[in-house]
Amino acid sequence: MSDTLIPVTVLTGYLGAGKTTLLNRILSEDHGKKYAVVINEFGELGVDNDLVVDADEEVFEMNNGCICCTVRGDLIRIVAGLMKRRGKFDGIIIETTGLANPAPVAQTFFVDDGVRAKTRLDAIVTVVDAKNLPARLADSAEAEDQVAFADVIVLNKADLVTPEELDAVEARIRTINRYARIHRATRSNVAIADVLGQGAFDLARVLEREPDFLEDSAHSHDTDVNSMSFEVSRAVDPERFNAWMGTLLQEKGQDLLRTKGILSYPGEDRRFAFQAVHMIADGDFVGAWPAGQERRSKLVFIGRNLNRPQLRRGFEACQVSASSDAPANAPTSAPISAPANA
Amino acid sequence: MSEVLRRFAIEERGQTQDFGAYVVGAMFDRAGTAAFALGDGTVRIARGPDWPVVEAHDGAVLSMAADVRPGWVTGGDDGRLRRVAPDGAVSDVARYGSKWVEQVAAVPDGKGGGVLACAVGKAVHVLDGTGTALKSLQHPSTVTGIAFDAKGKRVAASHYNGCSLWFVGAKEDKPRVMDWKGSHTGIILHPAAEAVVTAMQENALHGWRLSDGQHMRMSGYPSKTASLSFSRNGKWLASSGAESVVLWPFFGGGPMGKAPLELAGAEGVTCTQVACHPSHDMVAAGFNDGMVVLADISSQRIIPVAPPGHGPVSALGWSATGSHLVFGTEEGFAALVDFTPR
Repeated sequence: MSDTLIPVTVLTGYLGAGKTTLLNRILSEDHGKKYAVVINEFGELGVDNDLVVDADEEVFEMNNGCICCTVRGDLIRIVAGLMKRRGKFDGIIIETTGLANPAPVAQTFFVDDGVRAKTRLDAIVTVVDAKNLPARLADSAEAEDQVAFADVIVLNKADLVTPEELDAVEARIRTINRYARIHRATRSNVAIADVLGQGAFDLARVLEREPDFLEDSAHSHDTDVNSMSFEVSRAVDPERFNAWMGTLLQEKGQDLLRTKGILSYPGEDRRFAFQAVHMIADGDFVGAWPAGQERRSKLVFIGRNLNRPQLRRGFEACQVSASSDAPANAPTSAPISAPANA
Repeated sequence: MSEVLRRFAIEERGQTQDFGAYVVGAMFDRAGTAAFALGDGTVRIARGPDWPVVEAHDGAVLSMAADVRPGWVTGGDDGRLRRVAPDGAVSDVARYGSKWVEQVAAVPDGKGGGVLACAVGKAVHVLDGTGTALKSLQHPSTVTGIAFDAKGKRVAASHYNGCSLWFVGAKEDKPRVMDWKGSHTGIILHPAAEAVVTAMQENALHGWRLSDGQHMRMSGYPSKTASLSFSRNGKWLASSGAESVVLWPFFGGGPMGKAPLELAGAEGVTCTQVACHPSHDMVAAGFNDGMVVLADISSQRIIPVAPPGHGPVSALGWSATGSHLVFGTEEGFAALVDFTPR
């Protein structure tokens, strides 16, 4: 089923970071694939492609009781329109405006049934400008959101700064988002394989390239977006986890940009993968634990106002009691969903 | 399912084709010739043994209507509004640059002329029967559906947070705006102009009684509503989006406080297209498994037309007299079924 879904790459980045240059690189490369490109009207440069769609970036609220649930209404229409010429292209690349918050784009791919039935979000790729990123982060919440949401960050214009400055910018990115793959580039010269086909929203690969969990960065005071990870050694009780995560997403969903996790349920040989964009959550079993590997449940948060002790206590309290390793509850195969969506 | 054991009308009375491209529109023109508009940019006219191919758009056809005279008008993702004559001749009616022409409607005036409208972005362009531009009506967000009243005096457009009703002949263009929070994705006018109804992003319909603006909420659908059709006298509004054809009563004070009638239901399928018969209280319905049936509204008798297969039904239409039915699917299967008595 999933291999029939059209992959969608979202390309974000502040004005002048080199988004359109990257887009044109992707399109001009000799990869034998055809892409439908959705651009905004205020694109910096022309895009050279057969199938270019002008989008209006219409962000709509969903009346589903989910206060932070916004979607891109134009994308719902555009995807439906593109599906009419199915078979004529291999993937969709969506370029957002420099000021766009990536959340509505990502949420569109989880909320709309028609879009979900035909496409899958592959990754959010953010292009940042090594020279100007510190200034953008200081004056723009959108720039910070774009870094925080990213699965892949192209650290562009590396030639315009000293090696020390480049390291400092990368460290700065890491304080916001420790889980994105960062690729240094000049004139957006990143390998296509590092940008497309990432499967970043694929539950089976949700924590595939996790960073070293022990290397938790020091809290940074000059950034209000942060990432944190937690790990517990005993199996996690699915009911307790659902109750805790459901409440957490409902109460703090606006601050929680991305949440991902791999859980070990008692008496279950398969790993349960979980992810959320703000309040919209998705989860399922994704295959067996590797033989001989310790089954540790892990959870990653990227967001604002993250309270480390509270999150740790909450996650630890989801474990089955230390005394018994017997299954407390039969694990459920139903995907977790936030209460607002239930 | 006794229906399954009976013969399908398509076997004895149908002509079929496999076009290999998404069927966007299937309809008869005002002279009774059927045509199909496809995602590969062509229009196929159901005439003779091998249905001629007309190259109408460079890209996909996105919208289709029966022209005010014999033939069809089509909108494409090439930004063009075009006219396809019954002999297959194609001509430009208008060009709108890189924007998609996503909706088109036409209504004849009975004197050989009439009025056309198409939705391009936030504008509804109104043209006379010869294709001369009359006016451009601007909306606060992208127009997702347009509908004329029976005489072409008024045109209604759905958009975010409601819909707008315009008088085509007004000297000063000022719409009557019907508000309802949310994203409205399609529109239909009651045949006697008693009400206007929109499809919504949130698996519901919303209506407004035109006499007093009274709201009509029609909800409970398991998926998005896309296709709407009033029965000939406006008594019933048929809709897609459920496992059966959902018909709301527009009489006896309804639909407010009334339960809808549900016909031709089957578990695990979703109705994708509906079309009420032009003279009898009967509705044709297509499902996402490719099944097509006719349902008699008063007796609730079901006549099977086409068995499952060939993908979701994406277009459905009656001839003016109701003697013939056409339909097409997302996978490019198309049929013309003759119901004239033998």
